[in-house]
Amino acid sequence: MELQDKYRIALLSSYALALQGLEALIPSPVPWLKPGLSNIITLITLYLYGLRPALMVTLVRVLLGSLLLGTFLGPAFFLSLAGGVTSTLAMGAVFTFFPRLFSLFGLSLTGALFHNIAQLFVAYLLFVQRIEAFVLVAPVLIGAGTLTGAINGIAARYLVVEIEKAGDS
Amino acid sequence: MSSREKKHKVTFADKVLTALLAFLTITSFIFIKEVMPQGSDVKIEVAGKLEYSLPISIDKTVEVNGPLGKAIVEIKDNRVSMKDAPCNNKICIHQGWIRNGAIICLPNRVIVSISGLPGKGDEGLDGITR
Repeated sequence: MELQDKYRIALLSSYALALQGLEALIPSPVPWLKPGLSNIITLITLYLYGLRPALMVTLVRVLLGSLLLGTFLGPAFFLSLAGGVTSTLAMGAVFTFFPRLFSLFGLSLTGALFHNIAQLFVAYLLFVQRIEAFVLVAPVLIGAGTLTGAINGIAARYLVVEIEKAGDS
Repeated sequence: MSSREKKHKVTFADKVLTALLAFLTITSFIFIKEVMPQGSDVKIEVAGKLEYSLPISIDKTVEVNGPLGKAIVEIKDNRVSMKDAPCNNKICIHQGWIRNGAIICLPNRVIVSISGLPGKGDEGLDGITR
């Protein structure tokens, strides 16, 4: 890994961490429904620098985020880890194999969807082995994920356009 | 629009994916409404074990002990709610009164579900008068 990559990963991870911390402050009627703002950073990292840095940023964010929020090795940590890694890998796979198929918008939706699928799966393993419970929660998660994924995708698009502009001049 | 911005334009696949997800969300909501009719029995499970199975038509308040502590479930006017729970976020309490579906308290591993399969769910009852 190049030194420059390390700097980038450190910087991007701290952005992702800040967004995650900010998000934890937003009051929400249901705590597990979060906008997933840090996915914006994962997305632009993936888009600009590739899958490995994106995965690193996600891991650093999940690890440090859980230490800061006090959820390290708790159930929330495993949910966050599974969701983060799965969504990054899913977005990375789509972006690597079909780079022209989706824009950042579609990538963000893919990420949100896989994030929720992974979380449901881990929640199933960790807590309740009851399929009915997940049939009930799944539509809510998919619906909310589509909405937040769309918003994050638009935000990531703006950011990438601005970053590329700045890079040109 | 510059060519740079054009590169980030929403693609056809994006639209298909969005439509698909929206469709999936709406149909799954409808599916749940159809498949989960109002049940007749309230089942309370703690840590995977069935603790109570009660008729929804009889008002009753029960206490169960989960891994975190005491939870109170109230049945009233053909509805169920979690009155008190030892978990942190209290999602189960905020869910309020339900007529169908389930209240799931993950931290305390308490599941309150309403079902209505005939011939089942009578365990733990001395008798039902109708």
